Amino acid sequence: MASDTPLRSPQKPVSGGPAHGSAHDPMQAEQNVYANVYHALIIGMLVSTALFIWGLIQALRHSTFIPLTHKWIRQQYNWHLFWQGLRHAQPTPILLLATLILVLTPVMRVVSSIYAFWVDKDYKYTVVTSIVFGVIVLTVILSRLGLH
Amino acid sequence: MYFGWTFVVALLGSAVFAGFFGALLGVGGGIFIVPIMVLLFHLHMKIAVAASIVSVIATSNAGGSSYVDQRISNLRLAMFLEIATTLGALSGSVLALYLRQWIMLLLFALMLAYMAWAAFTTRNLDDRRIADGDFSRVRPDRLSRFLDLRGTYHDLAAQKDVEYVTNGTPIGAGISYLAGMASGLLGVGGGVIKVSAMNRYMNVPMKVAVGTSKLMIGVTAAVSSILFFLAGWIHFYVVAPVAVGTTAGATLGTMVMNRLHSALLKWIFTALMIYLAYSMFTRALAMHYHLHLPVLD
Repeated sequence: MASDTPLRSPQKPVSGGPAHGSAHDPMQAEQNVYANVYHALIIGMLVSTALFIWGLIQALRHSTFIPLTHKWIRQQYNWHLFWQGLRHAQPTPILLLATLILVLTPVMRVVSSIYAFWVDKDYKYTVVTSIVFGVIVLTVILSRLGLH
Repeated sequence: MYFGWTFVVALLGSAVFAGFFGALLGVGGGIFIVPIMVLLFHLHMKIAVAASIVSVIATSNAGGSSYVDQRISNLRLAMFLEIATTLGALSGSVLALYLRQWIMLLLFALMLAYMAWAAFTTRNLDDRRIADGDFSRVRPDRLSRFLDLRGTYHDLAAQKDVEYVTNGTPIGAGISYLAGMASGLLGVGGGVIKVSAMNRYMNVPMKVAVGTSKLMIGVTAAVSSILFFLAGWIHFYVVAPVAVGTTAGATLGTMVMNRLHSALLKWIFTALMIYLAYSMFTRALAMHYHLHLPVLD
């Protein structure tokens, strides 16, 4: 869970160095926010693994011909089919959902880190982390503009 | 392709193998699972790369929290370098969408060959530098000073607090961009490149570099995964066994890593990397030039 620990900087302040936000003794309330996010991320990770296993079992119960092609994958991107399939516990939407949750877990970490730095009044790193989030947004925009 | 027990069990088993030995060698599972998917399962290179990069997120989530627990990772350094690695991942995965399959195979073969070479030429000089207190003696550059990129960690082996100040942030960021690019293009974590960049050019102690690199891998892999997902290269039936298998393998591997640390293991897996590099190379030539070099099966 290393990559998803939205904790403040783990470094102890170096003696004589400039004081910044995380050098202060953290308030208990803040600590709880971080702990909650941390647990939420562990849950996200466990949920995606569980869904992967469930989806695989569902798929194996009625083995079918699944084309391993780019074209087949594109055909699955249909919200209507997705929700309908999920209601009937069909394997493809379950596996799609598991993949989505897994991919979005680190994004949640970035968002929660922006919040953590902001609460810490560490504005420099709020900006640094926001730039990282900006790259993620740019990725989505570029994809929507039609990369295939 | 018929999706049945044999396919799932074989792919799951291969993924456990890749994750386990990747963790033992400290290189991650990607460099083994991608060639296995391409050579053994005859999957399209882009489907293999996309599945591998999603599984990299899974393994990065699962293993290695001990670095953060022991306060070894540097969160600030990770955040700063993540700008470079995510931009690199974006460029790498866009490139992957447009490159021909055989060129990707060729690049993967080159990376494997480099890793095999690096395994024997990289020397860890940290023990002496820690003893001499070298890490705190350098002058930070302007960016490093502005972003306060330094820290202290307790080194259990040396039994002392090691203070360090980073410099060389531009070159460190540049190499991190390339690491992100390799990650997005070839479906690997790229940890080895980042760790050596931090240790060699940014004056970061090896253990801090490893822990910090682990923090970055998830977000970097997420960027390429989002692109591959939206472009339609993530095959859910391939991702599921690969992600579950590598995570299980990596968790096991991390557990036994400290007990199994022989030079023999390093030799065996360097040999395996060279073998995989050769196989990927011959497959690439066969694909494009219909040139069939002898295959060692």
